[in-house]
Amino acid sequence: MNPLLTALARFLIFPGLLFAVPAAWFFLWVERKAVALMQERVGPPFMQPFWDFIKLLGKETPPRPGIAGLIMRAWPLIAVSSAAGAVGLLPVLPSQGGFEGDLILLLALLELPSVCIICAGFSSRSLFGEIGSAREAALSVSYNIVFLLAIVSIAASQHTFRLEALAAMHPTFLTVLGVIAILVCLPAKLHINPFSLPNAEQEIYSGPMTEYAGPELAMWELAHGLEWVAATGLVATLVAPHIALAWGTTLLAACLFVVLSVAVVLLLSVLAAATARLAIDSSVRFYWQCTLIFAVLAISSALFVRFWS
Amino acid sequence: MKLWQRLMCTARRRSPWLFHMNAGSCNGCDIEIVAALSPRYDAEQLGVRLEGSPRHADILCVTGPVTRTAVNAVKTVYDQVCGPKAVVAIGSCPATTNVFIDSRTLVGPLDKHVPVDVYVPGCPPRPDAIIAGVARAATILAERGNNPPKTEMVMAETVKPVEEVQP
Amino acid sequence: MNILTMMWKNLRRGYQTLLFPARPKVTARFRGLVQFDPALCTGCAVCRFRCTSRAIEFKAGKGEFTWSYNPGQCTFCGRCVEGCIEHALKEGHTEHALSQQQDTPPVYVVQGELKKSYTVARRPPAPKPAAAPVATPTPNPAPGGTQ
Repeated sequence: MNPLLTALARFLIFPGLLFAVPAAWFFLWVERKAVALMQERVGPPFMQPFWDFIKLLGKETPPRPGIAGLIMRAWPLIAVSSAAGAVGLLPVLPSQGGFEGDLILLLALLELPSVCIICAGFSSRSLFGEIGSAREAALSVSYNIVFLLAIVSIAASQHTFRLEALAAMHPTFLTVLGVIAILVCLPAKLHINPFSLPNAEQEIYSGPMTEYAGPELAMWELAHGLEWVAATGLVATLVAPHIALAWGTTLLAACLFVVLSVAVVLLLSVLAAATARLAIDSSVRFYWQCTLIFAVLAISSALFVRFWS
Repeated sequence: MKLWQRLMCTARRRSPWLFHMNAGSCNGCDIEIVAALSPRYDAEQLGVRLEGSPRHADILCVTGPVTRTAVNAVKTVYDQVCGPKAVVAIGSCPATTNVFIDSRTLVGPLDKHVPVDVYVPGCPPRPDAIIAGVARAATILAERGNNPPKTEMVMAETVKPVEEVQP
Repeated sequence: MNILTMMWKNLRRGYQTLLFPARPKVTARFRGLVQFDPALCTGCAVCRFRCTSRAIEFKAGKGEFTWSYNPGQCTFCGRCVEGCIEHALKEGHTEHALSQQQDTPPVYVVQGELKKSYTVARRPPAPKPAAAPVATPTPNPAPGGTQ
């Protein structure tokens, strides 16, 4: 098929916007409901994130004159489009789309929402936004080193930076280690306990998002949901190689992708319900002291395997 | 579009986000608000989320008789709440200043300063009464949302310093 | 591992939430809205004297009085009901006009919506019940309802 059409289908239909936006709402609901059930509460009804989104679209925004208003309005749109692009790049179906090095593009697109949150907090010129953004920046530097080292070690051990090839790889000890390292970085990426400091409510008045309202806040919530889909989808595609190749239908591959993503969401919800929020020094120390050593081990063994074989 | 308006009404009723403000309260009503979020009463079953910023919230829950030093803060926060908004006065204090009726440090019940939509009586009100009040405010918001009254700024442009009480 | 076993137990037990609009039952001595029975009130105004937040207003007129109660002002302390019981017992009555509803007060939308006023015509005082045999009969007549 025409590669442009394939790319458009991947970005717009599956696993792109048409699938990702309802999936984002579904994953957000699964997380809230799982945390509530583990806390003996009944939790929100099924369509809750959808109703939150619609309600936010109908609220007014405070007047923000000048260029600062334009910049503030741009960050949530950049965050949503990059998260949607990251979801669209995921190699769910074996369609031979993609290009050499699209893993790098995926990592960049996964990174952009955090960068947008940091810039949004500073550009809102509110004290609480600045504090929240500074915390998010410190956390982002810490977990990103581990995250990127883990992914690069998986890619280096497979001698490729192409997502299709990574999705079809056979699991080795190194790739298992890398996936575990990615899972450890996910709570910080998705701002859930124990690393939920950047949007700590009642501590810094919602952190970087303090001055956002209405449709902009709806876009931030949607970007957060799409980040969930992209991050859990990345783990799902790395964990389950193209089983569709063996089973032969795309529908089964799609279902497996969704089931594995929901399993990752449930695992992260258990972690979120079981832990409390760590302060910034403890969070940063965790990533630098405990996990960095494993990431360094992973990349050095990947390079060792590469140069030795 | 009529369908969009109906959708928006339903969304406003099913997703009330709160911001809680203490205007000089004894904290009894604040403790009951926190109890309303606990597993037994669980306000989240109605979609209620306690937000950290007034810009995110729809419903402003105020406790406490409004003291002289808190009145400017209450008005500022009311102006910061965006879009279709509702105010719930929780407890007897913001409704009528309760037992502090002759106090010189109060500036009167809450509806002298901001328009109040729902009053939840009690001292302190039970958490289920607070949830009932928030649900009532959510239905009021749903009906109000489609013709929002032009909310003019309650706070004056310049903040005057609070006058000292004459001894 | 304690937290994980706790969470597993929570999952097995299910949610403990009261689904809206169900409400828990109140206890036997819960102090709710003050209820007034005009047929029993003697117009002594002890409740107005004892009220801590001026929720009860009492206006004496010619041959009648007006008793009003604003639940928005009320702090549900119960002093008015205690005073009414004490005064009634002192007068030798077994019944009193004030009681407290054992239910949560309702939510209201308009200021002063729940305020209630009663205008009660003064009655001649009820005869005292027969004195105990050991006590000497007092020559004082029973106190009237005038202020």
